[in-house]
Amino acid sequence: MSTIRFSKIRVLETGYNNAAFNMAIDEALIENIGDAPILRIYGWRPGAVSIGYFQSIQEEVDLEKCSKIGVDVVRRLTGGGAVLHEFELTYSFITKQYPQNIMESYSWICEAIVVSINRLGFDASFIPLNDIVVKGKKVSGSAQTRRKGVLLQHGTVLLGVDVDKMFCVLKVPSEKLKDKIIKDVKERVTSLSGITFEEMASSLKSSFATKFDAKLLADAMSTDEIIRASWLAERKYRSREWNFRR
Amino acid sequence: MKRAHNVYKSQKLIRIMLEYDEAENTINQITIAGDFFLYPEEALETLEASLIGIRLDRETLKQEIDNCLKNSEVYGFDSTSLTEAILGCKT
Repeated sequence: MSTIRFSKIRVLETGYNNAAFNMAIDEALIENIGDAPILRIYGWRPGAVSIGYFQSIQEEVDLEKCSKIGVDVVRRLTGGGAVLHEFELTYSFITKQYPQNIMESYSWICEAIVVSINRLGFDASFIPLNDIVVKGKKVSGSAQTRRKGVLLQHGTVLLGVDVDKMFCVLKVPSEKLKDKIIKDVKERVTSLSGITFEEMASSLKSSFATKFDAKLLADAMSTDEIIRASWLAERKYRSREWNFRR
Repeated sequence: MKRAHNVYKSQKLIRIMLEYDEAENTINQITIAGDFFLYPEEALETLEASLIGIRLDRETLKQEIDNCLKNSEVYGFDSTSLTEAILGCKT
């Protein structure tokens, strides 16, 4: 297991934003990172579907339904599956120092998330490659990318879950099996019910500080970062070229 | 030219959209989508480009996929399952 430590972690609590701006912030932070890693904590407003980098938006998402009920849709920089972001805390961890082995790097970061959940009275564990479960049910999923020597891992911690709404906006591979798929997901996914966003955020920050033996530096995005994120949101993450590339 | 698609369940779901030449049995265009992870991500576009003109037979496809992904890390499928996903478009 990696022994990488940091003297400080820059903490950005960027609040609730729309999907395009949320993904644009992550990319702007990758581009602008200094020596200290960044722990970003955020939410989505309106609720949004993010799809994995390699997914086909038309195959995965009911775009008409999303538009009708006001759910944003965006393609992520990272692989993995489609996610409905609504009742959750989302985190991003961005760092220039990380284990080069992919499995190890997931475990390295997810360990801090497991601890943060357990501090709130749960019995969570990490299931490679990228899941965290409580009593065998998924409560957190993560995805990562590496760009120009910088690792971004972002993921969710579910604070509530509405599987029926999830399948209202996500398409299933087989309509015939839809009921079974929904039943399976209901059996496999749970949430940290009773935990507030603020409680989870506080626990997450403490766990990252402990895990990496680092001081937390509460910060805000710089003007340059906001300008860059706004540009990326408009030109990339809201563009048809990006979202419909597959 | 014929168009076909296939959804194949490996460890992750693979969706193939294929255009192929029936007479020559070769790939004209291919898109590979799904909820897998591939590092670096750009390797998928390189793979799709390298499959153009390749014959749709099991051994040739697997060899090309193995060769193309030899410096990449994939989670969610392997060359055997991707080969089957592509060939499944023809059935």
